[in-house]
Amino acid sequence: MGLFILRRVGVMLLTALCLTFIVFFLTNLYPNLEKLAKTQGNMRMTDEQVDSWLSERGYLDPLPVKYGRWLGVVPGWTFEDPDDGKVRGRCIEPGMDPAEAPRYCGILQGDWGFSTVFKDEVGTVTANRLALTGKLMFWVMVLMVPSALLIGVLAGMREGSKLDRSLSTFSIASTATPEYVSGVIFITLLASSSGVKWFKGTATSAADNATFENFFLPVLTIALYGVGYIARMTRASMTEVMTAQYIRTARLKGVSFRNIVLKHALRNALIAPFTVIMLQFPWLLNGVVIVETLFNYKGFGWTLVQAAGNNDIELLLACSVAAVFVVLVTQLISDIGYVFLNPRIRIA
Amino acid sequence: MTITNPSRIHPAAKMHAEELAEGKISRREFLTRATALGVTTAAAYNMIGATPAEAGGHAKMGGTIRYQMEVRGLKEPRVYDWPQIANLMRGNFEYLVEYNNDGSVRGMLLESWDVSDDAKTVVLNVRTGVMWDDGTELTAEDVARNIAGWCEKDVEGNSMAGRMNTLIDPDTNVAIEGAIEVVDSHTVRLNLPKPDITIMVGMADYPAAIIPADFDADDIINSQGTGPFKLMELEVGVKARLERKPDHTWWGTEIYGGPFLDAIEYIDYGTDPSAFLAAFDAEEIDSLYESVGEFIDVMDSLELERSEVVTGATMVIRTNQATEVDGKAIYADKRVRQAFALSVNNDVVLELGYGNRGVPAENHHVAPVHPEYAELPKPEYNPEKALALMEEAGMADFEHELISIDDDWRKNSTDAAAAMMRDAGLNIKRTILPGSTFWNDWAKYPFSSTSWNHRPLGVQVLALAYRSGEAWNESAFSNAEFDSLLGEGLSIADADARREVMAKIQMVMQEEGVIVQPYWRSLYNHSRPGWVGTGIHISYEHHHYKWAMAA
Amino acid sequence: MEPLTWTGSLSVLNPIFLGLWALLGVSVLAQIVTSFFGTEVDVVGDQLVVKKTPNALAGMAVKYSFIGAVLITLAYLVGGILIPGLEAKGIIGIMATRFLPVWIALAVTFALSITFKRKLGLYGKLFDSVVGMIGFAIVMFWVFTAIFGAMDFIVTHDPLSQISGLKNKVPGTAVPDGNDVYPYYLLGGDNLARDVFSRMVKGSWEVIKIAPFATLFAFMVGITLGLPAAYYGGKLDTILTFLANLILAFPVILLFYLLVTPEIVATGIPVYMAAVLFIFPIIFMVILINSRFYVQPAKRNIYLAFVLVIGLWLYAGIAWNADPFGIIEFPPNLLVVFVSVVFVNSPTVFRIVRGIALDIKTRDYVAAGQTRGEGPWYIMLWEILPNARGPLIVDFCLRIGYTTILLGTLGFFGLGLSPESPDWGSTINDGRKLLSIFPHPALAPALSLMSLVLGLNLLADGLREESLRD
Repeated sequence: MGLFILRRVGVMLLTALCLTFIVFFLTNLYPNLEKLAKTQGNMRMTDEQVDSWLSERGYLDPLPVKYGRWLGVVPGWTFEDPDDGKVRGRCIEPGMDPAEAPRYCGILQGDWGFSTVFKDEVGTVTANRLALTGKLMFWVMVLMVPSALLIGVLAGMREGSKLDRSLSTFSIASTATPEYVSGVIFITLLASSSGVKWFKGTATSAADNATFENFFLPVLTIALYGVGYIARMTRASMTEVMTAQYIRTARLKGVSFRNIVLKHALRNALIAPFTVIMLQFPWLLNGVVIVETLFNYKGFGWTLVQAAGNNDIELLLACSVAAVFVVLVTQLISDIGYVFLNPRIRIA
Repeated sequence: MTITNPSRIHPAAKMHAEELAEGKISRREFLTRATALGVTTAAAYNMIGATPAEAGGHAKMGGTIRYQMEVRGLKEPRVYDWPQIANLMRGNFEYLVEYNNDGSVRGMLLESWDVSDDAKTVVLNVRTGVMWDDGTELTAEDVARNIAGWCEKDVEGNSMAGRMNTLIDPDTNVAIEGAIEVVDSHTVRLNLPKPDITIMVGMADYPAAIIPADFDADDIINSQGTGPFKLMELEVGVKARLERKPDHTWWGTEIYGGPFLDAIEYIDYGTDPSAFLAAFDAEEIDSLYESVGEFIDVMDSLELERSEVVTGATMVIRTNQATEVDGKAIYADKRVRQAFALSVNNDVVLELGYGNRGVPAENHHVAPVHPEYAELPKPEYNPEKALALMEEAGMADFEHELISIDDDWRKNSTDAAAAMMRDAGLNIKRTILPGSTFWNDWAKYPFSSTSWNHRPLGVQVLALAYRSGEAWNESAFSNAEFDSLLGEGLSIADADARREVMAKIQMVMQEEGVIVQPYWRSLYNHSRPGWVGTGIHISYEHHHYKWAMAA
Repeated sequence: MEPLTWTGSLSVLNPIFLGLWALLGVSVLAQIVTSFFGTEVDVVGDQLVVKKTPNALAGMAVKYSFIGAVLITLAYLVGGILIPGLEAKGIIGIMATRFLPVWIALAVTFALSITFKRKLGLYGKLFDSVVGMIGFAIVMFWVFTAIFGAMDFIVTHDPLSQISGLKNKVPGTAVPDGNDVYPYYLLGGDNLARDVFSRMVKGSWEVIKIAPFATLFAFMVGITLGLPAAYYGGKLDTILTFLANLILAFPVILLFYLLVTPEIVATGIPVYMAAVLFIFPIIFMVILINSRFYVQPAKRNIYLAFVLVIGLWLYAGIAWNADPFGIIEFPPNLLVVFVSVVFVNSPTVFRIVRGIALDIKTRDYVAAGQTRGEGPWYIMLWEILPNARGPLIVDFCLRIGYTTILLGTLGFFGLGLSPESPDWGSTINDGRKLLSIFPHPALAPALSLMSLVLGLNLLADGLREESLRD
């Protein structure tokens, strides 16, 4: 087991390295750098000004060198201003004596860089935003998982019944409704002057003070798209269990239907959905981006869109690292959980 | 010429008062013209026997307002490219003069000013008793230093240089030696090499904030200022918070009243108006930066208070005559440009793109609200002729790519114009860029639409946007006749005299097909009931000291 | 002119229709509630008879109200087609009439398919499943709509032309006099006074022409790489799986933002990606033919030459925009969207194919093939692949739906297709800004998109059920 986890962590690191390198490569293409220079410096810079702006900040060095700097294995760039002799550099904070500044400052040194869009340390920005998205995800899970399991179990315990048919149709319909459709419909119906005004159509204030009023709609929108999928997995797994020999035996013994479902079927039926729920996390990330944009909730997804739209290289890299971390950790947990829940599988 | 007599009234102002009495100009035009000549607002109102409308009377102290506005990263004032940035710092960095919705210009850090009859000498009388946060007084030196800073043309993106153009030595790209003269501790004299009537209104524009001597561009937020508010919290793209400085005596309290509020919170809801509507619905904001399009009607129905101002703000669809498409500057050909103008019916664009909230424009970028506007016949709408011209230019099959930003009214208006060009038989492809990328290259796109804010004088926009070689000359229009006419116009202080030149200038603009300019916009914003002074400003300025809760 | 009503002269049916829907809603709820109390059984003579419980009663109510509602819906549609005169038809009637070619095509398809269903393999079996048939009907409805719409049969107006005075007008508004076009905007006008109905119909073509092909390409890439990865295993498998997981670890939106921006298009990277991805279908076809007709070189050469000529011609046109004959054109905007969607979908397909192939590889018939001395590619493509078709077809249907959603997502973020394109994603995005005031411009494409994806899901469900019965 230990070796297994160790190997997975190794693969994870390798994946994160490759992935960040790809992001690094794409964001450092010249047209993107030009865009960055113009948004940071000035919209009306000439090509020569763009070049000098970029080279003064080390953006025009070879790609591996830049990537090494970001990692913290290559010394940061420094630049001496020919006008006033002031030395600036990647590792020199404003007000710091250049001579005392550290030579390396990458993620290995715990420095995630500086966000050009938000004018703040990337580490701080990402941590704040992730915390907000964490809050959103928590409530999504609280709403989505129990309702999905309930729907799945109810539909799966009597396959082919009318209850099964209607719940299955609901699940299919919910997977067929993307967030940008359902979110928009919810806002119109439940949070605007043209429908009823039960909820609030923005979640901006939920960042500081989440209430049922301002937080329910975004949570519902994300949860709805995920519910269908988990419910169908649960239903499939439940119907399979309900036709198993041991359930038939229990029924023939005269165990009541309620007890069969609760005591015998449920535990085995929930193994498969568990994996699905864990693997659902990366999927939810997508929904989070759409919903945060739609509801103006300034979490991780919103930050990702801002960073990508403005080519904020270091913030984008941090976002990628966070995203890949979520994806791979959930995979790991789902594998480990599967082993714990399913006694038939043993990993050497 | 007297320098220190603020009660001296410029002769041209007296003439304008007569014009107003004769009904030749509107009250608003009178105020713009008279105050630009150095007459104080109060005196100007006095000349025509009116009293200025002020909200101050029913305000009460205290309170925090939540205001929807894009929260952008700070920059040094002279390179500001968004009024929003200026608004963040406006509570701290004040301005020499202030432009108001009624068209008047009134002194802020200047007690008064005086433009000589030949418009070649401007005397600035700095207000006494204005204190920086560190307790030193604002002096003529400070003002002179700021003006000199505005004149540094080599600073990348310094848009004040365009406004101070007359003061700049073209050889050194800094202020002409001796042009900015400190007369005494509170008097600055500007000696202009040639007449320039726009300098004073230029100083009212949002990049003209007065910054202290120890200003540090890397630490703007903690910089000291003369204003009553300080930016305490800034999270770009999220929110900003201004708080009243606790132990600061503001010079303006005695003169103009205020400030009333304890704090101002700016909250960023992106650029999507439906998010603003939702924020109002959710009672998360008290006032809006601007209401646009259909949302104006919807917000009217929400028991919100609407404010409206008629402006010279507009959208132009322009070709760039220098940018090359497929290795050829296709829009250098006048016929192609004229074809576009002929193919678009401006009234229809106003209806479809802006819900008829404005007046049709005439493709020359001088608005009826400008004092020197000369009335010309309406531009011709003739799709057949447009196609014929395009064919004559050999461009009938060429696919023109019309670029616009992705927002409500600019996109819709551009789409409407594109549809009409297509109806005329021109081959148009539309491209819409998100706001984050659109402005990167806005001045260079071969064919695109751009929004322009209101400016007090008609010659100002022309000087900023159509003179050869200007930073903001997005059409790359370079026409010797136009330049010389404009130079002439810029030296005539009297608007009526200037109008004759303007007629020629406007004609050149139309004839050359520089822009398709569909309409002039009225601007609107909405506030929740219970606030005073939060109505929309003609150039989006936030005068925080006027804002208050209704008593 | 008066605006149209929804149901025209059939509006007498409206109260009954609403009443039936209300009854249906109430009875469904009642049935769910009563189903928690089990059924009771009576002994009558020597027979067990189910008692008339509340549950059974509710069940009957559901059944009859549902049948009634469906019948009236049919009456609206059929009546609408038969009644003469635009005002009398109403909006629904007119739309039913406009869709007449689609109804005929659907009827012909179903009649033929049901008649010959025993000879049509898995496709025929679909007509044994009600869910599958409903799904198939919805999907085919949109396919026919797209095809006929593209041929200008159904649409009433040009999707890009604007009529002054019809901005954001409600469904059924009459076109002002003096315009020589169809006299009504059936589903109202959008924000730019364009006809919502025509845009919706035209939009279906935009979706139908991209989503299935992008999915097909993704499948070719996934199969070409997934089969050898599973069959050979070892290093090849490790590397390919790692790459697939790498792409899957990207949040899709980040990937789109990195790939579908004007800056990246300027670097030409999408073209190179297209060059790599689009070569796979050709490789796939070549290997497929080569392995099959390896023993008949003459036949093989003819087929191969044919495939290569057509394939490389398309390849040059699509990926490099360098068609020597100048017939095939692929706008760069569309290419980058197409490439990104294929790129995002391929790794998932790869994983599915690999998983199924790993399982089938251990079957006896594969071992038999190996002992017969069949080549590895023959086994992969002609032994393993046909036996994996069930799950793959099911996934294909689901994935088209997912791709449709993805295209909409791109539209939502303002990336991707040309901004005036009537495709549903962009239209929803345009309309959503005004949704709280004028819901109809966004609602029409939103419901269309939902119904298409729902149809694909139901179809996949039907296919899964039927293929499991094999």
